[in-house]
This record gives sequence, structure tokens and C-alpha cells, in this order.
Amino acid sequence: MDSALTEISEFIQAIPPLELLPSHIIEQIVKEINICYVRRGQMLPPQGITDESLYILRKGALSYVTNEGELLGKYGEGEVCTVFCFSNNDNIKVTTDEDTLLYSINYHNFRQLVDEYPDVMAFFQQTAEQRLNKKMLQVNEDAILNSSLLNSSVVNFYHSPVVTISPETSIQQAAILMTEENFSCLVIVRNNQPLGIVTDKDIRRRCVAQGLPTDQPVSTIMTDNMATIDIKSTAYDALMMMTQKHIHHLPVTKNSQLKGMVTVTDLMNNEGQNAVNITSVIHKAKSVSELTDISSMIPKLQIRMAKLGTTADHVGKSISAITMAFTIRLIEMAEKLLGPPPVPYAWLAAGSQARQEQFAHSDQDNALIISNDMQPEHSYWFKDLATFVSDGLAACGFIYCPGDVMATNPKWCQTQQKWSQYFAQWINTPEPKALMHCSIFFDLTTVYGDSRLLEQVQEKMLKTTQHSTLFIAHLSRNALNLRPPLGFFRDFVLIQDGENKATLDLKHNGIAPIVDLARIYALSEGISSVNTIERLQQAAGTPSLTKSSAANLIDAYEFLSMLRMMHQANKLQQGQQPNNYLSPKEISKLEREHLKDAFKVIKTMQDSRQSTY
Amino acid sequence: MFNHHLTRWLLGYEAQRKRMLKKAPEGPLRDFLSAPFPALYTPFDQIPILAVDFETTGLDAVHDKLLSVGCVELCHNQIKLGSSYHQIINTKGRLKADNVTIHQITDDQKDQGQPLAQVIAQLLQKLTGKVMLVHFARIERQFLQQACLELYGMAPPLPIIDTLVVAKKRLDKRDVAYDPSELRLSALRAKYGFPDHYAHNALNDAIATAELLLAQVSDRDESMSLQQLIL
Repeated sequence: MDSALTEISEFIQAIPPLELLPSHIIEQIVKEINICYVRRGQMLPPQGITDESLYILRKGALSYVTNEGELLGKYGEGEVCTVFCFSNNDNIKVTTDEDTLLYSINYHNFRQLVDEYPDVMAFFQQTAEQRLNKKMLQVNEDAILNSSLLNSSVVNFYHSPVVTISPETSIQQAAILMTEENFSCLVIVRNNQPLGIVTDKDIRRRCVAQGLPTDQPVSTIMTDNMATIDIKSTAYDALMMMTQKHIHHLPVTKNSQLKGMVTVTDLMNNEGQNAVNITSVIHKAKSVSELTDISSMIPKLQIRMAKLGTTADHVGKSISAITMAFTIRLIEMAEKLLGPPPVPYAWLAAGSQARQEQFAHSDQDNALIISNDMQPEHSYWFKDLATFVSDGLAACGFIYCPGDVMATNPKWCQTQQKWSQYFAQWINTPEPKALMHCSIFFDLTTVYGDSRLLEQVQEKMLKTTQHSTLFIAHLSRNALNLRPPLGFFRDFVLIQDGENKATLDLKHNGIAPIVDLARIYALSEGISSVNTIERLQQAAGTPSLTKSSAANLIDAYEFLSMLRMMHQANKLQQGQQPNNYLSPKEISKLEREHLKDAFKVIKTMQDSRQSTY
Repeated sequence: MFNHHLTRWLLGYEAQRKRMLKKAPEGPLRDFLSAPFPALYTPFDQIPILAVDFETTGLDAVHDKLLSVGCVELCHNQIKLGSSYHQIINTKGRLKADNVTIHQITDDQKDQGQPLAQVIAQLLQKLTGKVMLVHFARIERQFLQQACLELYGMAPPLPIIDTLVVAKKRLDKRDVAYDPSELRLSALRAKYGFPDHYAHNALNDAIATAELLLAQVSDRDESMSLQQLIL
């Protein structure tokens, strides 16, 4: 091709989804370009173009609005306007906000060129919902692949330092060292070069069973010609080597120097079970300060899980399980200190912890539900319990709830009867403002204690919410206060009134609207689950939510949660406090397209909610 | 006004074209001359335009050589990249080093180029019935006419739109002093907020010039005809 057109080719090749095309197709696309110049304030298509065409912005800006004048979005440099690819665009107007240099491409010709590239065609032909679904299928597949040992380095699994011993040391000394260090194996080294390995089994089989004196040097019973694995290998290689050689310990070397040891158990404990490990360590902790130490592992775990490609759902469940373990351990400690509870009770988690959607550094939302047998003098015991546990949680990094949704607040430390009254009042005589603050209590779960207490209240509550249209209407109105943005314009987030913001609030303008919708569907249909994905799955196919809408919302929710997880992992890794404010600069142009699709899904569901109540 | 109009028409490009057509030898030049030029009243979006740029070894059309030709069609307010053409010419003699740094055409590339006669024939064919668009007309007009003189023994009339002159007229009208460097292609493009382009490639410069003309024309609120734009 003419070298002169390489500039334009390079520009085109950087635009998603055209970046997926090979260069010979890009060259042909460039030949299809007609360059147009449209002054500010003009309507598209440009004068003289009547064919169905797509437009790539080289310079300038476009707005697309409904016939009623509602802004739908904007296009900036390097973006593709697909409004005129189809003739049925009567309800959308596109105007230039600035003097604009456009590359117009006949859509019919374009389609013929990219016909064999379904991923590219999908962008032009599929709906936002379809594109998002495809993306999430891929993400979930990747999560399975990435978490496999095949794709992670042995570095992620080995522990170091290794307990080593010189070949001259006696067998007895070796056994003592193993007992002291609580290791089932030692590496025998000379000048940090591994010579062999000795395990529990060797002492049993080669020494005790043979009647060999224990003052013999350990080298007499060690396994030499020991297998080692280079630090650059994958965890999968390590597992294969151990399986083939029937060994459970494998020294890891770097330039033949001993660096560490990887065991079968290390490999089996993949990232999911790591959360399980942490919970078991929490269970054994003896003091609040021990718990505080353990809590420093949570951000690291979240980073690791995110980097390994774990789904946000899985991370949320793991972190929530860990928070639950901390809470239970603290309650056990408190009960030991305060004596047994005077009457049955249950410790409740609210909000994201109850929904199992918690990430590191979230605040604590909790409450207490107490048997109706409670006497006034019992309140001191519960007050002390609540104080001990919430202080303990705060010491472990779960900050006090800014809205004071805590068991320490007398309002939320109540009998079963009182809780039933609360719910009856919220549902039967709803006030919009009060509802906004109490929606968190419609996501409740029992962390510790007698779970029947809450279940009975919830059963009664769900029976009434199903028939209380006024309550659902108020809840819906509140939920619609948080709207997703329209999309992006250049490196900014574009919001409804056409204003630009530097960052996107992933929580309030993306995740929370879906959580709110899921809660409304669940309460309208009497569904007891509180986890957002479970609520959507169970509401699918009910009068409140079609199956396809549920699937779309789940895709949008998973995508937004994934972005939040990655964003927070990056912040945590840089040693910063994680937040929910994502700058468009942090993500790729393709991810921005997926985000726009997610916004569209939310908007569609919010609009249909609006017309329902 | 009418008189002036008529005079230009009679003595203008069309008249010259018809006169020369009678004398022109068989071949590319005659083919070029056999199609009428667009009429002066043609509205801008109906004018068939070919944006052209040359890279040369110097500024003197007689002694210096044509190195490469780039061109692209502009019509109906659209620059059609499918029509873009770029050709290096296999001129005789070695290139001067200081020059190579500007046009970036090496001796090796040049040696693989096409002969001048072939390139000029292709260019004339593309120019047939069209108005030539250039930035700073002197170079392209003189080099093309010189080449035609050498190849066919006569230099044809060339209706030209010059983006530099369009810009200059507007600046002159404002009656404020300006620096001549403001009339450079890249400076004028920057004024319209256009992206930087890789200059000193003939096709790139031709596209850049065509983009500039689109902006200059749409700058005006009233619609323009060829007469207001032609040199």
C-alpha cells in the first residue's frame, strides 16, 4: 500500500473493535474511507451521503440525542458512530458539537470486508446486551483457565526459607530439628547447593526399621539424586514432576541455588482454598491482636485472587466468609469473657457482607436480634457483646459504619418482636427518606447464634412485601435516584446533563443500581436470598423480571464488579486505600465499550421499572 | 460583472483548452485536453477536484527534477481515499543528500520508480475534466507544465485552486499584518485544529491540502462556486 496511507491505517488499527483485524483488511478499509468535514452544530449524515455508513471521528465531537432532545451519548476522536449503519435510526439525531473531521465508510462495503471476523461484526450487529454477554462468557472462561496451575508460576506457591541441614549432622539431630520446626522434611545442603532431602518417611524406613543407629550422619539415609524444579517453571510442571516421581516435596532452585520448597499441599490449596485456610487460622486465634495480624492478609488475598483472574463473585464470597469468621471468633471470645448469653440471640450482618459481596476494607454493618424473652437487665450483656465485637472488627480493619448500622446502636440491638415491628412499619407506612436508610436491613443474614430468630421475621416480612405495592413503589423510586452515566467522552465520564466527570463511581453509578433492582425483584416475588446474583437468578422468569433481562443484569453486574475488583487490586498493590472511583484512563477503549453496554442494560431496566410503578 | 465574467470565460481555460486541442499531438495530452473543464459557476460540491502534490529535487522547474507525485480526488465534499495515487519517478542522476532528508526518498527507491512519461500520462488522465488543487501553486504548475513541454512539446492550461491563495485573500481582507509562515500548510491546518500530518510525502500532502480546502469552504456561510476559488 502507499506508504502515505500508513498514518491513517495506524489510526484506524488502534480503534476497537477494528484492532482485531489483520493489516491487509485495514488497508482495504482505508481505501473505503471518504473524508468529510462538518462544521459545528450541523446534523449528520454529512451533505451528499445517503448510503448507510459508519463514521470514524478523526477530530471533533458528536452528540447523539433522541427526537425529544434527551442526550444519549457523545463520540470523540477515535470512536465509531454506528447510528447510520442501519436505515431504522429515525428516533436518533446526531449533531456535531465541534468542527469535525470524519472518515465515512459505506457500511455495505465495510461489512463485506470484515465478514469473516465475527468478533468485529458483533460490535456492529449485536445489541449492548449480546456484546456484554459475550464478554462475560469469555471472562468466566478465562477465570477458570487462569486459576489453573498451568498458568501460574511456581513462585506463587513455594515457601521459603527452607529448613536446611549439613550432611554431617546426625539423624537424631535432624529428627529434633524437624520436630522443632514442625517440618516433615529437611534439605541437606553444602554451600547452599542442595545435596539431598530427608523426610519423616526416610527416618522411619531407612533408620528405625533398619535398626540404624541415630548418631549416624543424616547423609546415610537421605535421598540423593533429588528432583528439583527451576523457579521459572509453572506450578503445573511442579505438580507433574511430583506425581511422576511419587514425591510430596520439591525443592525450588534458581541457578541451582536452593530458593524454597513447594509441597503437594501448597499446590492443592489453590486460591479459593486460601480463603478457607485463613478462616481456619482465624478459628484458632487466641486474642484480638492475633486476629488483627491475620486481617492484614485480606488485602493481599484480594490482590492475589484478582490477579489470578478469579471472578468478583468468588472474591466477594471469600472475603465475606473471612469477615464472618472474624466476627464469629470475636463473639466466641466475648462469650468467654462475658459468660453465656442470658437469652437466645443472633448476630446479624447487613448490606454487602450479608449479600456476600464484600471486598477488603469495607465498613461493618451489623445488628443483633434477641429472643422475646429478653428482660431489661439483659441489655447490658448485649451492649458489652456488641462493643467487644465491633471494636474487634474495627481493629481488624473493618471501619465503624458511618451510618451507625451497628449492633452497638440500641436501635439495632432489639428483640425479635421489635424487629418485626420495624419491618411492618417500613412496609406498611413507607416514607421515602426512611426507606432509603433502611434498605440495608432487607439484606440481612445470620452470622452467629439462633438463625430461626431472623428466619421467622423474614418469612413474615416477605409475605407482606409481595403485596405491598406502595412499599415497592417507594423502594423503586429510591433505587432510580442512582443512574448510570451515559458513557464516555474523550477521557471523561459523560453524565445525563452532558457534563463531564473525571471518574466513574463504580459503586454508586454501576453496582448499587443493580443491587437495588435485584432487591426490589426479590421483595416483590417473596425471594429470601440476599446475594444479588442469586436474587436475579431466582427472580428470572417471574412477573417482575424476564429470564433474558435477568441474564443481562447478571452480565452487567459481573462486569462492573470485575472492574471494581481489578481497580481495587491495583490500588491495594500500590499501597493505597481502595476506592470505587475509576478513571477512564485506567481502562482500555474496549473496556469502555463494554462499560457503555453495561450502562445501557441498567438504564433499560431502570426505565422499565420507572414505567411499572 | 457580467462582462468580466464573459471575458474570463472567453480568454480563460476553456478557450485555451479548445485552441490547444487542435494542435496537440495524439496521446495523453490530447486525451487530457479533449474533456471540458468544469464551468466557473459550478457550485463547490459539484466541482471534480484532484488534490495534487509533488516532491522535487529543488524549486527550479527547468533544472530540478520531479521525484514523486501524489494525488487524491475530492468531490461532493468528500475526499475519496480509494482514489489515492502515489508514485515515485525514476529520474536521472543521483539525489543530493541534503534534499533526501526532506522528501525521504532514497536513490534505491527512486531507481525502482516509474519513468517520468508514464507518471505524467497517469496524472493527466486523472486530471482530465478536473480542477487541480494544490497548496502554493507555483511548484506544481511549473513542474507539470515543464514536464509536458519536454514530453509533448506544449504546456496545457491548468485550472487550479490554491489553498494558500484562498487563505491569503482572507488574511489580506482583514487588513492586519501577518507573518508569511502563517500561510504554510501545517500552520493553516493547525488553525482549524486538524491533526498533524506527516509532511513531505506527496500523497499525504495532497490529502492534507484537500482537508484544508474542505474546512476553508465550509468556513463560509454562503455556498461557493468555482469562480470564487479558482486562481
